[in-house]
Amino acid sequence: MIRILSRYIILFVLTLLVLAAMSFSLAYLFPGDVLTNLTGITAQNDIQRNALIKQFRLDSGYLVQFGYYLNELFAGNWGYSFISGLPLRDEIGLALPATIELASYAMLLAIVIGIPVGCYAGLRSYTPADYGINSASMVGYSFPVFWLALLFILVFSLELNIVPLSGRISLLFDIPDKTGFILLDILLADNIDRSLAFKDALQHLLLPTLAISTITTASMIRLTRRSVIDVLNRPYIAAARSRGLSRWQIFFRHILRNALLPILPLMAIQITTLITNAMIVETLFSWPGIGNWLIQAIYQRDYPALRVGMLAVASMVITLTILIDLFNRLIDPSREKYERATV
Amino acid sequence: MNSLPVLLICLATLVGISACSKQKKDGFYQTGIMYCSESNPVNFNPQLDTSATTSDATSHQIYDRLLDFDPDSGTIVPSLATSWSVSDDGLTYTFQLRREVAFHTTDYFTPQRTFNADDVIFSINRWRLPQHPYHQVSGGRYPYFESLGLAENIREVNRINGYRIEILLTQRDSSFLANLATDFSVILSQEYADKLMEDGAPQRLDHYPIGTGPFQFESYRKDHYIRYRAHHNYWGQTEFAERLIYDITPKSSLRLAKLITGECDAIAFPAQTELDIIRNREELELAEKPGLNVGFWAFNTQRPPFDNPNVRRALAYAIDKNTLLEAVYFDSATRARNLLPAASWAYQNDAEDTAYNPVMARKLLKEAGVEAGFTMTIWAMPIERAYNPNAAKMAELIQGYLADVGVNVTIVTYDWTTFRRHLREGLHDSVLIGWSADNGDPDNFFRPLLSCGAIPSGTNRAMWCNKKYDALINEALQTEDLFQRKAIYEQVNSLLFKELPIVPIAHAFRYQAFRKELKGMQINPYGGVRFGGVTKQL
Amino acid sequence: MPQFSLYEEEHHPSPWQRTWREFRASHIAFVGLIVLGVFFFFALFAPLVAPFDPLQQNINALLIPPSWELNGTITHLFGTDALGRDVFSRIIYGCRVTFGTSVLLVIIAMGLGVTIGTVAGMMSGVRSSIVNHLLDALMAIPTLLIAIIIVAVLGTGLVNSMWAITLALTPQFIHYTRTFVRSEMKKEYILASRLDGANAWQLFSHSILPNMIEMLVVQGSVALSIAMIDVSALGFLNLGAQPPLPELGAILADGLDVAYLAPWNVALPGLSIFLIVLAINVVGDGLRSALRKRVSH
Repeated sequence: MIRILSRYIILFVLTLLVLAAMSFSLAYLFPGDVLTNLTGITAQNDIQRNALIKQFRLDSGYLVQFGYYLNELFAGNWGYSFISGLPLRDEIGLALPATIELASYAMLLAIVIGIPVGCYAGLRSYTPADYGINSASMVGYSFPVFWLALLFILVFSLELNIVPLSGRISLLFDIPDKTGFILLDILLADNIDRSLAFKDALQHLLLPTLAISTITTASMIRLTRRSVIDVLNRPYIAAARSRGLSRWQIFFRHILRNALLPILPLMAIQITTLITNAMIVETLFSWPGIGNWLIQAIYQRDYPALRVGMLAVASMVITLTILIDLFNRLIDPSREKYERATV
Repeated sequence: MNSLPVLLICLATLVGISACSKQKKDGFYQTGIMYCSESNPVNFNPQLDTSATTSDATSHQIYDRLLDFDPDSGTIVPSLATSWSVSDDGLTYTFQLRREVAFHTTDYFTPQRTFNADDVIFSINRWRLPQHPYHQVSGGRYPYFESLGLAENIREVNRINGYRIEILLTQRDSSFLANLATDFSVILSQEYADKLMEDGAPQRLDHYPIGTGPFQFESYRKDHYIRYRAHHNYWGQTEFAERLIYDITPKSSLRLAKLITGECDAIAFPAQTELDIIRNREELELAEKPGLNVGFWAFNTQRPPFDNPNVRRALAYAIDKNTLLEAVYFDSATRARNLLPAASWAYQNDAEDTAYNPVMARKLLKEAGVEAGFTMTIWAMPIERAYNPNAAKMAELIQGYLADVGVNVTIVTYDWTTFRRHLREGLHDSVLIGWSADNGDPDNFFRPLLSCGAIPSGTNRAMWCNKKYDALINEALQTEDLFQRKAIYEQVNSLLFKELPIVPIAHAFRYQAFRKELKGMQINPYGGVRFGGVTKQL
Repeated sequence: MPQFSLYEEEHHPSPWQRTWREFRASHIAFVGLIVLGVFFFFALFAPLVAPFDPLQQNINALLIPPSWELNGTITHLFGTDALGRDVFSRIIYGCRVTFGTSVLLVIIAMGLGVTIGTVAGMMSGVRSSIVNHLLDALMAIPTLLIAIIIVAVLGTGLVNSMWAITLALTPQFIHYTRTFVRSEMKKEYILASRLDGANAWQLFSHSILPNMIEMLVVQGSVALSIAMIDVSALGFLNLGAQPPLPELGAILADGLDVAYLAPWNVALPGLSIFLIVLAINVVGDGLRSALRKRVSH
C-alpha cells in the first residue's frame, strides 16, 4: 500500500516536473522575445528590461532560470497576459472552474445514463433491444462534437427558441465569482433572485452538457455492455446460476461489480476526450471556460497565456488520470497496471 | 429510430418546456439592455484610439462632449457647452459651459465637485501638450487628433471663469467645431485624474473611466462582457435603462443568433447577407442610413514594388469592383470612385475611376518589372465593419483576380488588436480596411487617411506621404466657402487617381439591428451607438 | 465438377478467410464497408468525380440551394457557398483532404508506434518503465492542447496540425505493440525460434509481426476514426487546414457565416464527416466481432 502510494507520488511529481519544463521551454520555442513570452510584460525601456532579465535570471544558465521559474510558479506568479495585461493566475482561476463544471455535469450525465443502459444491453445481448442500443451508441459515438453542438443550437435555440445558446447565465445577473462554479456562486450570491438565476443558469447549461455527454454516454454504453458480456461468459456466473440465484441477485452480487471494475481505468481515457470535447464546445456556446480562453489566446498569439494555460490544463488532466489510476489500483490490487480503452 | 437520441431530445424538450414556458417575461429581464458588440475595446478612453469598438463602448455611454451632432439633421448642437461664439477672423472660439453636471460616483471614485472649466482644459491639454503630466500615460498616442494635426493648430486654451473657456487657433479651421463634437473629443474628470496621480496609478484613468455620461462603468472582462449601470444624476432629461451590458461576440452569425433568441436586444454590424432575415422577422427591426464611410484596398507604399504608382495601378485594374460589391456587400453599398461618399457635400460625381482590365494590368506589371509568380500579402481585417462586412471573403476574391494576372496572394489575418498593431508597424504589403467618418466634414476623410501626419498615428494605412496632397488639403481648410473648398477637393481627387495609394471600393449603408422591445434606438449619422434614451418594454 | 478428386481433401480456410466470412455475415458491417469504399473512391479519384474545381468562384451563382430544394439547380447538386463554389465538389475534395490526411496519419503513427513499441517490448526494466510513464503522460494531454501548442510554435497549417495528431495517435500504438510483444515473447514458439538461432529482427519480422497484424488493423480503425474527428475539429477551429484548402472541418466553419441563409453549407460537410466516421466505426466494430467469433468458434 505505502509502496504503491509512494510510487504514484513520485510518478506524479516527475510528470508535473516534466510538464513544467516543457512549459518553460515554450518561452524559448515560441516566436518573439523570450522575456516577453516568459513574463507577459513588454519592457518599455532598457532599464526595465535589464531589471526583468535580472529578476528572471535570464543572464544565468537554463537550470537556474528553470529553478526560478518553478519557484515563481509555486509562489503563484504565473506572469501576465500579453494582450489584456491581467495576471494569468486570475484569468485561469476564472476559466478553469467553468470547464470543470461543464465537464463534470457531462460526465455525471454520461454515468447516470450510460451505465444502466449499457448493463441492460449487455444482459440482453444479441436481442433486438441490444442491437438498437448498440447501433444508437455507435451513431452517438461517431458525431463530430462541433457539428452536434451546431445541430442542437439550430434546433433548440433557433427553431424552437426554448433554450439560450451562449454563456453560463444571462449577463443581466451580476454574480460575483467566489468559487468559479456558477451554480454554487448563485447560492452564495446575495441581492439577486436566486431561483430565477438558477433557472437561467440551468437553461444555459443544458445544450453544451448534452452535446458533450452524448458522445461520452455512447462510449460509456459500449464499454459497460462489452464488460457485462465478458463477465456473463465467466464460469462463476454459470456457477451462481446453477446455485439457483435469481437474475437480480446474480446481477447485483456478481455481474455489476465485476463488470464495473475494469471500466474504471477506461474512464481515465474518457476524461481526456471529454475535456477536449468540452473545450471545443465552449467556443461554440461562448462558454467562458479554459478551452475558449486558450483558443482566444492562440488567435491573439498571447504566448504567455498559452504557456501557462497548457501547463494548467495538462496538469489538471494528468492529476485526474493518475488519481483514477491510483484509486483503481487500490481497490483492485490484482490489476497489474493501467489498461486502455477498447471502445 | 434510435432510442438514445430520442431519449435525449425528449429530455431536452421536457426541461426546456417546463423551464421556458414563461421565459424572459419576468420583469427582471426588462431592467437591462444587452448589446452584442463585435470586439474588445482597447481601453476606456476614445482619445487614445480611433477604433469604433472603443468609441462605441465609451463615447456616448460613459462620456459627454462639449458639442454633439443632432442624430437627425447632423447639425452641431449643445451638449456640455450650452452656447458658443466664433470671432470674425475664425481664430477664437468661446464656450459657455453647463452647470450642475455630475460626474459618476463609483466604487473607485467619489467626486467632490461637479463639472467645470478645469475638466475641459484638462481633457484638451492631455492630448495637446506633450509636457502635460498625463500625456505619456497609456503610451502618449492620440491618433485621431494627431492625424488631424489639431494639437499644433490650437495655440491656447484659456479659462475665463469657472464656466467659460476660450480656445485660440493658429490657423483658420473650418472643421474645428465638428471635430469637438466627434466621438473622440470626450471630457474627462480632472479631479479624478489628480487623485489617481496622487495614488501613483495614473494609467487607471483610461481603464476605470469616470465621465458625465448616462451610464457609469461597472466591470469589464476581456472577450466576455462590459457592464454599465445607470448614472442617476445624469444632467440630460432622457430615460434610460437601469443596466447596460455589452456582450462581446466577435462572430456576426452568432450575434444574429443571439438577437433571434433574445439574448441580445441590439447587435453591432449585422452581416450584409443577413439583412433580409432581419427584415423578414417580425420581432426584429432594422434601421438603415446611407453611411459616411469608405472601404478600400491600401498598398504599403513604403515597400517595393508598391512604391511604384504603376504597380498600384496595375493591381487596381486587375480587380472587378462591381463583383466585389455584389459578392461582399450584397448590394448594400455603392461603388466608390474616390474617398468621399455621395452623402458628403464635396462629392464629385464625375470623378475618374479604374475599370476592370486584366490585359492592361498584366502589361503594366510587366513594364514595372514585376514577374509572373510574384507573391504579395493581403491583410484582411478580422472584424466586420459597415465599410467592409467580410474582408476575408473580399481577400479571397481578390486572390482569384490577381492569380489571373500572375500574382500570388497570401491572406494574412490576426485578431483586431494585434492586426492594427502590426499595421502600424507597416508589416503589410496591402490591406483591406476602411474608414467611417467621425463628422460630416470632407477633411475627416482626406486628412486621417492619407496625410503625412497620419502615418505615425496609424490611420494612414498606405503609409503614403505626398507634399502636394498635404498642401492642397491644408489650403481647403483656409476658407469657409464651400464652393471653393469643393474645387480644391476635386484637384485632390485627380491627384489621388494619378497616384492610387489606395483603391477605393465601396461606400456602404449603415445598419442597426435590434428587437422590437427596444424603444428609442437611433442610428447616429457619424458612427457610434448611443444607449441614452433607449428603454426596453417587454 | 469436371475435375476428379481422388482423395477427400479437407478444406481449411485461412484465418483471414474465416474472418472475412464472419464479417460478411453482418449486414450492417458490410454496408459500412461499402460506404467507406465509396468515400475512399471519392478520395482517390476526386478530380474525376467532382464536376467543378473546388476553388473556382462563380459570382453569378452565389448560395444556390441544393438540387432537391425548390430553387436548386441540377448543375450544383449540393448547391453553392457564399463565394459561388460548388459544395458537392468541395465536399468530394474535402473527403480527399480530410480522409486522405487521416489515413496517412494513421499509417505514420502506426509505423512509429510499432517501431518504438517493439523496441520497448523487447527491452525490459527501467528504460521500458520510463517509456511507459512518459507515454501515460503524453496520452493524457488532450490533442487539442498539443495542437494549440504546435500551432503556436510553428504557425497554422494542415501539416502542422498533422504533427499534433500524429503525436496524439502514436502512444496507443506503442502501448498495444509493447504489451503484445511482451506477452508474445514469453510464448514457446518464440523460444523455439530463438533456439533455432533467430536474431531479434528475424524474431520480429517472422514471428511477432504476422501475429500482430490483426491487432494493428483493429487499432488502426479506432485510430482512423479519432484522426478523422481531430483533423476536422482542428480545421473547424481554424488551427488546421487554412482556406481555401477544402478540408471538411474548414468548409463547415466557412459555412457558419451563412448558416441561416444557407444551412446546407453547415449540414452537408458535417454530415459527410459524420458518415465517414460512422462507416469507419461500423467496419471496425464488425471486424472486432468477426475476430472475436472466429476465435470463439
